[in-house]
Amino acid sequence: MTQSTDIDQDNISSGEDSHRGDTTDFGFTEVPREDKARLVRGVFDSVASRYDLMNDLMSGGIHRLWKRFTIELSAVRAGQRVLDIAGGTGDLAARFSDLVGPEGQVILADINAAMLRVGRDRLIDRGKVGNIEVVQCDAQHLPFADDSIDCITIDFGLRNVTDKNRALRSMYRVLKPGGRLLVLEFSKPTNTLLEQVYDTYSFKILPRIGQLVAQDADSYRYLAESIRKHPDQDTLLGMMEDAEFADCQYHNMTGGIVAVHRGVKA
Amino acid sequence: MQHDPAIIAALLAAAESGINRALALAPTAASDFDALAGTVVALEITSLEITVYTAVTATRAVRLMSHFEGHVTTQVSGSLEDLFALIVSDDPAALLINSPIEVHGNTAPLIALQQLLTSLEINWQQPLADIFGDVLGHQMALHLSAGINWGREAATSLRRQLSEYLLEEGRLTPPETELEDFFEGVQSLKLQAERLDSRIARLARRISQRGAG
Repeated sequence: MTQSTDIDQDNISSGEDSHRGDTTDFGFTEVPREDKARLVRGVFDSVASRYDLMNDLMSGGIHRLWKRFTIELSAVRAGQRVLDIAGGTGDLAARFSDLVGPEGQVILADINAAMLRVGRDRLIDRGKVGNIEVVQCDAQHLPFADDSIDCITIDFGLRNVTDKNRALRSMYRVLKPGGRLLVLEFSKPTNTLLEQVYDTYSFKILPRIGQLVAQDADSYRYLAESIRKHPDQDTLLGMMEDAEFADCQYHNMTGGIVAVHRGVKA
Repeated sequence: MQHDPAIIAALLAAAESGINRALALAPTAASDFDALAGTVVALEITSLEITVYTAVTATRAVRLMSHFEGHVTTQVSGSLEDLFALIVSDDPAALLINSPIEVHGNTAPLIALQQLLTSLEINWQQPLADIFGDVLGHQMALHLSAGINWGREAATSLRRQLSEYLLEEGRLTPPETELEDFFEGVQSLKLQAERLDSRIARLARRISQRGAG
């Protein structure tokens, strides 16, 4: 089966990733599929050095609490092998490094070299060495053996992936039977009033903060737009089930602004 | 009751940070803590429908979680007030027996952990010296330690004197031995009543069987 056939099948099987022609979303803009990775890379190249500051600004610092709950749900134990996709600056990887201990392994993966460089340097500065590997790879084509990973996390990264269905299938492939996937991602607020406040913040305040802090309003505008284009809680749940994950469930956090989805490889 | 995991995570993160900072400043507790490594105590707060898992890690730290899937050493269930009373109790073993708290599993690690956390001897010298310098920090730490010790002794003394006043001066409460004797009597009466009840039931069964025969 050729790669292009795969893409066509994805478009047919999923409402989320189906776009007219051979295009996909980049925020609110439709772009050719092959261009999205480059455009996303441009955004993260621009913000890599201030990524944590950006997360703090976007979430008011609450992203640490969302990640904390995700780590609890992962139920990672000593000796396990954990893959943190779109691991960015390595804050989740650092925590997993403590949990898996010297017998386990954490793989910090990201498609973006600038982000990985920041993450790797930060982990070394924090003394997190020995059980962490850094791998630059695409979530749609994970370069790991079948059934080789105990737990995969992808936090605030899935919305930037060009073909989310393919990425979910790739994650399913590399997970061991019984292994779990955790997707932490911005989602749809459950309260209408909160949604209005959130929209005002995202589209009017956030780009201005981005301009002030990083002199880069466009990247922050893209981040807000990409959140709106990301599938809502139930759609993502369905996508995980389509990728054959079992026991799929999600937990809304902060009124549904963020949701963590969990699925298990049967 | 559906709680937002982020709010619970915020409360647990704050408590965990406070406990671990206190542990880091109490070097004498380290060896006792090693013996508890791997212990997981589940505190089920029935009134709030929340379970807080308290895990002691191999790195001499406490981890507080709202979700845990491994082996739980001890499960304690009770209202927030009951569990708070247990956490601050001078005699947790007695409290576990005499309160409506339900316990499943091994109580020894629970009591050891409770006593360890409530009797931490915090060395304030290092954090104060980091802020105010060695000389001033040392003096401040001495005064702070003296103040804390005075506070503890004053609280103990006040509690004892209050107890004596209620018991001896005001005659407002019965003596402890009298109370225990009363409770034993109630317990004994309860058992006798249960035995009598079962005898009556047995007798009634026999009568009905003879009637049928």
